[in-house]
Amino acid sequence: MQGTAVKKGNSPPRVFKSVITATFKEHMAYRSRMAVSVFAQPVYFLVNYFIWQAIFQIRDTVSGFTFGQMLSYFAVSSLVGFLNWDDSGNVLPMLVQTGGFITFQLRPVSHIYYSFFQKVGHRIMAFLIEMLPVVCFYIMLGINLVPAEPFWVLISLFLSFVLSFLINYTIGTFAFWFVRTDGVRRAVYLFTSICSGAFLPLNLFPYSFQKLLFYLPFQFIAYVPVRVFIGQYELAGITMSIPQIVFLQAVMVAVMFLVNRALWYMGIKHFTGVGA
Amino acid sequence: MTGENSETRTRNIRFSAAGVYIQGVKTALASRMAYRGDFIMSMLIMMIVEFGGPVITLIIYNNGASFPGWNQYEVLLLQGIFLLSRGIAFPFFMGIVWNTIGRVREGTFDLLLIKPRSILLMTVVTGFDSEDLGKLIGGILVFRYALKNLPVQPASHWVSFLILFVFSLILMFAFALFMAGLGIVWVGNYRIYDIFMSVIDFGLYPKSIFTKTFQSILTYIIPVSLLASYPASALLGDLDQSVFMALLSSVVFLLLGFMFYFKMVRNYTSAGG
Repeated sequence: MQGTAVKKGNSPPRVFKSVITATFKEHMAYRSRMAVSVFAQPVYFLVNYFIWQAIFQIRDTVSGFTFGQMLSYFAVSSLVGFLNWDDSGNVLPMLVQTGGFITFQLRPVSHIYYSFFQKVGHRIMAFLIEMLPVVCFYIMLGINLVPAEPFWVLISLFLSFVLSFLINYTIGTFAFWFVRTDGVRRAVYLFTSICSGAFLPLNLFPYSFQKLLFYLPFQFIAYVPVRVFIGQYELAGITMSIPQIVFLQAVMVAVMFLVNRALWYMGIKHFTGVGA
Repeated sequence: MTGENSETRTRNIRFSAAGVYIQGVKTALASRMAYRGDFIMSMLIMMIVEFGGPVITLIIYNNGASFPGWNQYEVLLLQGIFLLSRGIAFPFFMGIVWNTIGRVREGTFDLLLIKPRSILLMTVVTGFDSEDLGKLIGGILVFRYALKNLPVQPASHWVSFLILFVFSLILMFAFALFMAGLGIVWVGNYRIYDIFMSVIDFGLYPKSIFTKTFQSILTYIIPVSLLASYPASALLGDLDQSVFMALLSSVVFLLLGFMFYFKMVRNYTSAGG
């Protein structure tokens, strides 16, 4: 009887729920840090607003975007950014460096799932503290935040949430080989941000670069969810229906998961921990 | 007697503010060199990150769009100046922000308070950020690239540019004081940088693209236009009278920064280290 109770208590859904709750409570203590976004994001957006307003004074469209669509792009991409942000690429190297990682190897939960559900807990709080006020700001500014196809948007957002985690976590696994990975992580973070379309719609980049971007996983983090939100997808002259591009996004998540697992097992073999 | 004088002079130089600062720079560089590969990589990334704004400008102009009244190289010049200002500020004195935040959180801020020098000098000295030299290199490259594609400017333009550029740095320092002061009371919050970065983002683009109200705010209240827009206009020989108000505003901003910072230092209550 007691054994059954212990088993139930340790069942994965309960463990993951506990991780989500604990992370939420832990970060709730530092909620004012997150609340900085309520000031910073509207200011960033205003800068973009003025830039594009000035540009659209001379032209009606830029790379197929109208002024309204461009603003929607930046608004939705910032919201996707809030949703996808995670620190797993920093936490794992820190655990490896400090030796704290050894304790995770002794726990009956794989670290990747633990880390993923930490992200879930953290992002639930971000939704309440960062996203909702910023959404209100966008609505006040008259930005169109009505998705073209809500069902596909939800799926695409979920997939981008998982994919961004897998990419960050994969970057973190490099800590098994390098003592300090700050430089590598910064490089990859920069590359990811540019190639995901977080700074600028990808179809504004030179055509040859767009072609390269089409085959990389990064567009599925921000560009694809935003284009799904707008209701039309186009990159490097390739147009796809929304279900098609979401399917490709799912395939990319599966590929990234396999890449991560392969790197993980190689890294674990390489890892040597002394004390904790 | 002469030997004693020379020894005293050397000692005075060594313990002057500049001497202490140089010593801090040497120590920071030496400790960062322990991980040379990572240092070079980080510096390179810092440099590449700085190209973000100019690359966006190039993409905008390559798509046939533009900022009214500014050609591509004029905008790049403005952004180059902005990056130069940031490239000097971040490694050389902006480190007081992360240094203060980190030390207050760890409790080691107290160690600086008991040193026989000004707390401001000590946080600047121990906050030298060698990686951010990459920002300076990035700024120099963008500035040079823009200059090469613009007509040669007369010496008078350069003089007014240099004066305004000094004020650009003064403004950066004022921002650093406000942020460091905030870092004392808002314990462990590195996102203070986000507030700053979002505000100075207005300085990366020509002042003329903003509405009149915003132009007034960016000139008279938080003179962000002084970071690059005015120095670039000076270099291009297109300066207007509002610059004097911006200069005055930057001096007031600096004084307020000092007052705020030292008030926060006075309010600091240690929790032990």
